[in-house]
Formats: sequence, C-alpha cells, structure tokens
Amino acid sequence: MNIYGAGIPARRFEPSITMFGAGIRARRFGSPIRAEHFSTWRVLSKNRIASRNPRIASALLIAFILLPSLAHAYAGPGAGFAVLSSFWAIFVAFLYSFYALATWPFRQLFRFLRRRNAYGKAKFKRAVILGFDGMDPDLAERFMNEGRLPNLAKLRERGTFSKLRTTFPAISPVAWSTFMTGVNPGKHNIYDFLARDTSNYLPFLSSAEIKGPKRHIKIGKYSIPFGKTEIKAMRKGTPFWHWLGKAGIFSSVIRVPVTFPPEKFPGVLLSGMCVPDLKGSQGTFCLCTTRSSNDKFREGGVRVPMQRENGVCRSYVPGPENPLAEGAGELRVDFEIRPETNSQQARIAIGSEKITLKVGEYSEWIPVEFKAGLGFNAHGICRFYLKSVDPEVEVYVTPVNIDPGHPDLPISHPVTYSIYLAKLYGPYATLGLAEDTWALNEHVLDDDAFLAQAYGNHEDRERMLFDALEKTKQGLCTCVFDTTDRVQHMFWRYLDNDHPAARDVPRDERPQIIQDLYQRMDRLIGRVMSQIDENTLLMVISDHGFKSFSRCVNLNAWLHQNGYLALKDNKSESGDWFEDVDWSRTRAYTMGLNGLYLNLKGREKQGIVDPSEAEALKLEIQKKLNSLVDPSSGAVGITGVFITGNVYRGPYTENAPDILVGYGAGYRASWDSVLGKVTSQIFEDNLKAWSGDHCIDPRLVPGVLFSSHKFAEEKPAIVDVAPTILQLFGLSLPSHFDGKPWPLAAPAGS
Amino acid sequence: MIVVVLSIVIGLMMVVLFGYTSDQKAIGIAKDQLKAHLLAVRLFRDQLPVVMGSYGKILRGTGRYLKLAFKPLLYVIIPITFLIVQLDRYLGATPIPMNIPFLLTAQTTGPDALNNLSIELPPEITMTAPAVHVAADNEVVWRLAGAQSGRYEIKINSGRQSATKVICIGDNLARTSPVRLQDQFWSRMFYSAEPALPAGSPVKSIAVNYPEREIDIAGYGMNWIWLFFILSMIAGFIFKELLGIKI
Repeated sequence: MNIYGAGIPARRFEPSITMFGAGIRARRFGSPIRAEHFSTWRVLSKNRIASRNPRIASALLIAFILLPSLAHAYAGPGAGFAVLSSFWAIFVAFLYSFYALATWPFRQLFRFLRRRNAYGKAKFKRAVILGFDGMDPDLAERFMNEGRLPNLAKLRERGTFSKLRTTFPAISPVAWSTFMTGVNPGKHNIYDFLARDTSNYLPFLSSAEIKGPKRHIKIGKYSIPFGKTEIKAMRKGTPFWHWLGKAGIFSSVIRVPVTFPPEKFPGVLLSGMCVPDLKGSQGTFCLCTTRSSNDKFREGGVRVPMQRENGVCRSYVPGPENPLAEGAGELRVDFEIRPETNSQQARIAIGSEKITLKVGEYSEWIPVEFKAGLGFNAHGICRFYLKSVDPEVEVYVTPVNIDPGHPDLPISHPVTYSIYLAKLYGPYATLGLAEDTWALNEHVLDDDAFLAQAYGNHEDRERMLFDALEKTKQGLCTCVFDTTDRVQHMFWRYLDNDHPAARDVPRDERPQIIQDLYQRMDRLIGRVMSQIDENTLLMVISDHGFKSFSRCVNLNAWLHQNGYLALKDNKSESGDWFEDVDWSRTRAYTMGLNGLYLNLKGREKQGIVDPSEAEALKLEIQKKLNSLVDPSSGAVGITGVFITGNVYRGPYTENAPDILVGYGAGYRASWDSVLGKVTSQIFEDNLKAWSGDHCIDPRLVPGVLFSSHKFAEEKPAIVDVAPTILQLFGLSLPSHFDGKPWPLAAPAGS
Repeated sequence: MIVVVLSIVIGLMMVVLFGYTSDQKAIGIAKDQLKAHLLAVRLFRDQLPVVMGSYGKILRGTGRYLKLAFKPLLYVIIPITFLIVQLDRYLGATPIPMNIPFLLTAQTTGPDALNNLSIELPPEITMTAPAVHVAADNEVVWRLAGAQSGRYEIKINSGRQSATKVICIGDNLARTSPVRLQDQFWSRMFYSAEPALPAGSPVKSIAVNYPEREIDIAGYGMNWIWLFFILSMIAGFIFKELLGIKI
C-alpha cells in the first residue's frame, strides 16, 4: 500500500538542506613522489650533462613507455592524478587489509569472549528473507499450479508454502513493523501511513518526524539555520536484527519499510518505505508542459509551465523550500529543452548534464543541486521522461530523490552504505515509495512508462540484493521488493473480470501484467536459490495479499448520514480534512485507510464524547457498520469491524484508532474518505488505475510464506518471523514478543 | 613568476586534453567502483573473506582504471614531454656568468683526432688555462671565461674539418644547449638545442656545463620542474573541479 493510494498528502517536512549528511567525498591527495634534488652545480664534473638532462629525458621517456606512474610527475595534472588516485586506492586498501588481517584474530577473540561463539547454537549459518510486498497466496498458488512459477513450486515441494496471517490493519508499514519487531501494533506504534493530530484533526506521517534546526541566525535577508535537523523515529520496538547484532550476528537489511531514520546496529541497512523525497513529501512528481492548463493534480504532483522561445523551451524542477529566507518560496533548478519534432526527440540541458531523449524514453538518474546561497545546497537525483514534443512539449520529472551518493539526510546505516551502493551501481531511487503510482492515476504516465519506471527500480534492488548475498555469507540478509505491491495496485483492473477502470479494454486484449510480475519474481527466486546452500534458510514472505478494489466506501458519508458526524450550516458535503465539519456535534470521524476515531473529550481538541460513553458508542457503530451492504449489488461492503481495545495491547494503544474497519473483497475506503472529505454518496465505483488493494478486512488478505526448509506450523503469522529467526540462530527470545517461533519440521522419514 | 604562469596554463591545458581524449563516463564508473570496494573493506571489516575479496577487486579495478587512463595519458604525456624538454632549455640552466670560468668538453671519435683539435674563440671569450687531454675518454677539456654577455659561437677544428658550438654568456633568460651531438636523434631531441654535428666529423660531441637554475622557495633552492609539478598539480585539481572533468 502506498500513501498515494489513499490520496493522502504527507506532511511537508522541513527541507533537508543540511550539510550533515557528510558523505564521503572523493579525497584527493598530494604527490607521494619524493623529490630527488638535482645536484648543485660543480665546475669540474665531466658527468654534469648526464646528471641533469638525461635524468629528465630518460624519466620522461621511460615514463610514458613503461611507467605511467612516473609520467604524471612531469605531465602534472593532465595525466598523473588518475594514476595517483589509483595508487592511493591501493595504498588505502593495503592499510585497511593489513589492519583487518592484523586485528582479525583479536577481534575474533574479543567476539568469542564477549558473545561466546555467535553461531554456536544456530541451526543455519545464514537466513535470507525476501519480502515481496503484497504477494498474494491465492495468485501464487494459481500460477504455480499452471506451471508458471517453477522455483516457488520447488520451495513449496521441498519446504513450506502457506498463507501468512497479517496485521490489523493489513497495511504495509504496520505489517512490516510487526515483521521486524515481533510485536503487535500496540507495541510498535504504527497503525497506518498516517496518524492524526488530535489538536487539529490533521494527519501526519506516522513513521518519522523531521524537524528543522530550532535556532536561526538572521543576517540581512538570510535566516541561517543553526544546529542539526532532528529526525525522530516514531516506530517503537526493536528490530530483530538488533538482537542478532548484539549476539555478534551480522545483518544486511535492504529497503525494509519503516526503517527511516536508520538506526545504529551491527550491520548495514538501507532505509525503505517512508524515506521522503527532497521536498520532504512522500513523492511529488512534476509535469513540465507548454500546454496551458489551470488543472491541478489531486495529489502527488505539480504542473510546471514551460516557456517556449525561439525553439527552446525553458522550465524548472521544483525543489525544497528555501531554508534561508522565510517565505522565499521553493528552490528550483532550471533546465532547457530543444525539441526536434522530425526525429521525435529532444535535447535536455540541466546543470552540466546534457541528454537526448526520444519520446517515450526515460533518462538515467540526473543529479540536481538546489542552491539556497551561502553554501547551503540540497543534493537530489531525478529522471526525465519525454512525453511529447509535438504539438506540445511535455516532460515528466520523477520526484526528486535524496541523492544516495551525497545524502543530505541519513538514509542508511552506516551513512556510507548508501554511498557504497551508489558508487558500486550508480544512483538509485531512495524515495520510500519510489514507483510513481499517482502519475499513472493522473494519466501523466501510461502503463508502459509506469512499468519501465517500476522495473528499473526493481533491477537496482536486485543488484543490491545479490551484493548483500555476496557480502553476507553468515548472518541475516533481508531485502524487500515493492514492485509486487505497486504493480498489483495499478494493474489489478486487467486481472479482474469486470473492473470499472478497465471496462473499455476488451478481455482478450488485456495484458498479463500481474502474471508477468509473478514470473519475474519467480526467476529472481531461482537466481537466489542458485547462490545458497543447505546451511542457508531462504524465506519468501509477503506482508499481505491482494484483492480487487472496484468499489469505494466513503465512511465519513456513512457517519454523516447516520448522525455521528455533523456538518456546518446544514451542508451536505465537506471539503478535504473536515473543512466543513462541525466538531461540536461530531461524535466520530475517519481518516486514513481503516481507522475510525471517536471525537473523545479530553483527547481531541474539540471532543464531545464522554470517555464513559465511549465503549457503548464503539459497540453501537460496530453493530451498525458490520455487514454494511452495497445497495447497487447487494454485496457486503464491510465484513469486519474491530474495536482496537480488543485487538491491540501494549504501551502505545492510546495512539491507535478506536475502531478498525475491515472492508469486504472488492471494497476499500474511498479516495475522498481517506482525505477526511464528506460526500453525499457512500458507495461509488473506483475508476482509477489504482485498482487492487489490501486495506480491507485483514482476514481476507493474508500474506504468503515460502521457505526452503519445512516448518511445522499450521497457521504462521507475520508477527512470528522475528522470534523464528532469533530462535533459529540459537538466541533466547525477548519476553515482550507477541509472535511464537515456528519449529522446523522433522526431516522426512525420521 | 614565469613558472607559476606556465604551471597554471599547462595544468589547464592538460586537464582539458585529458577530458577530451578520455572516456569520462567509464573513468567515472571505474573510480566510483574503486571507492565502493574501499568502502566495502570498511563496511564489512569483520568479515575477512569480504575484505580480501574487496582487496582483489580493488586491484582489478585499479588495472581497469589504468587501462582507461592509458590512452589519454599518452595524448597528454607525448606533447607535454617535448614541451617540458623545450622549457627546460630556458628554465633548467642559466647562461654562463660573465668572468666565471667554465669547461668546454669536446669528445672525438677516436684517440687519433685528439692531437689535431684546436679551438677558435671569439674575442669576448678567453681561455684561462691550457687544454687538458683525457685520452682515456677521447676528450679535450678547455677552461674558458666570457667577458661580455651574449651568444657566441666557438669553433673547434680538426684538420680541415670544423665544428661549432653556441655558448650563452650573461645573466638573462636564454635558451641554452648544454651539448651538441653527432647523430643520436633521440638524445639530441632530449638533451640538445642545436643541430647535429656534421656526419663524418671527428668531433662526436661538444658540451658545456651550464650552471643549474634554481628557484628560491623560502630559502631553499629548487629546480623549476618540481615547482612546476606541484603548481600544475594544484592547478589541475582546481580546473578539474571547475570544468567537471574526471581524472
């Protein structure tokens, strides 16, 4: 699930224009050459000539023929730095290697004494967990039975294939937080992408809070931030790789959701879902166009005008707000486009980069630097996609991602890990929700362009995974792939027999995009399986499954029509974020995907429900909402309503919604409802490309579990993964865990 | 001052030349990968196989990087080699100071020619000691001194054949040639600033030992080439950043 899916804007964070990212810069070093001084002049020296000119000449000659390393001493900058740099690399590598070699026995001894042989009780040397966000067990089974997923079928045959019970609600940040902490949401504090601010009924991102420096120094027109940007993790609980690390077991963790900000632990981690873009949002694309239009995108993107003059079009990439001057607006990076209509291509010049794109083609990641002045710069990367050159020139620009090679915010642990990956494989998407689903929803991208973007990111992720596998021969290696989630969200309409968003596409012309997706993931599994041995446990899990999303339910409309939510001045509808809601007469409201809140006195700023009446009110709403029927079809739109006090336990339950609404298959909260909008219609068709979903009754969308070794567990749940891994590595389980470890099945025939 | 200007200009030229003649994208990738493997050594330092594997990759990466740098290095080194040799004619040595004795050495093709050698000097140059014959090396050494600054031609006769050598006297910046050689193309290219001695001449070479020019840096005498090296390196670093050229 993606925050755009809900159409919910993330709170705009302070721009991340800080210098503290302190990425490793390429270091340049002076000459290591020892000066061999020319001899002083001696009056009587028959070797005089041979002592100077031959020295230069032979040095030069030998230099460029045999020893390029000396040549630069004479060729100076033009040649020698290259060689110097490489020798420096070798020198540093030697130092590191020597250090590593020399200290390795001592470190091993220290580790042994401190941790008593970390792998002593481990059943496996390595655990590899691949997270396929949203992989559906029913679809997987269907494709396996059709013979399309041979590698997953092998896992089913030799190890485990099972449904994996998900969390309440079945939303990615919630489920993955439970996966990593082994606890229910009441203990990790993540209930949705968003949480609500009880002082103003507005949403904020639930996973992290970013605050700019508290102090500013005013100098003329500038207001210079003084101090560090604060990034506070809102997710509580301890990821299980921290427990492994404490026991001396190394972990490589790649793009697991809700790992931003990255936490320190003995291993490497690249943050995933919830990493913001450079604007501080969860992803804001940009459409630069010569077409004049006053239309605005509902959410997730901005339209930027492009000026055409003498065959050259000029526009800009919008960036973060200027941190040095209040109200100075956003920073921008200008660019130029020279369209060539005959060849259906365009030349784009941005900064020092010059690229030529054909219509329908993406650029590589382009570095962009937003300059605020006084040396305050923000470093980002983005990709350009040329939509058209004739008659109008239109370019789509991805959200500006934090540059992984020069991160202005920490997106990995250690901070050098993102730099390492960027140096090794080139720039890559760092935004938590990197696949631009909203651009497809808004018809800015078409199906092919979206898929090209999604699979481009996916290939980067695969490279990272295989590097982690190579580097983590012992310990934990886990990587989450989002492609499965995004592609199913956007293309379920072609899988569904009668989805309102695909009624104009004949069934026999519908592309097999989801089937292709599953096959692609299967091939990935095959390649991973070829790299592991019997001492490695391979688990493939998903946080939830998928169902069609063809009908929208506006729960706020239902609350209004049933007297729980009141509007001002007898209005029949309200704008976004409860614009026209009369809180003095409102007892319940909803925002986000599944949560329903009471307007509780003493908690909400304008609360009216007395806490003593809260339980009764919850029961009343539960009773009325349960089995809510869609009048157009007679189908049940809501199959489960859960009072969270009965579902969650832990220190953070007070932050949870009061009620969780479980929609039936085919239904989900409406686009308006999640934005706190009240409409007159409760049910409506979903006409967007975003056509599959899982934010429904969690019992209907379990995830999937495959493993290379058989587990003797009939009803595994995602909360069990953390305790299972700890136990397999021979560690004792923390008492606060809610999950239970799965025992390994006895070998066949024993 | 002239060395500073030259260093900056040549630093700029070389960086630009390197930029144009190299595969900048490939060099960038090769350098990035080297850095990545260095980072890997640090990131995975507790895993000895990874450290050693990364070290191997660093060696391979360095080879790949040098291979990429080789072609532009050639483009850069060949012209700069000849340029530096020519500059060294001006900056490597000073003319002979006036009234300071210096040695002129003529080497013959064999011992027979030694006794037939005679020298003709212009009026501004005088001989301050009798010629010394070094039979073992087939050499005759004259001790001379110049009374007035200028470029003078000294003639050495051997029977009916003669050979000349230009000598610079004075304290100005001048193009000096420490030796005049017979044949030996590459030696002349690198050591001499004069045409070859006539073929068949019994005189094989005529050499003068000019004083080495030293540039005073904080009381320390330094040959221009080292100053050039340091300054052009600094200039190169600056220009490469300004021009966005990867080296």
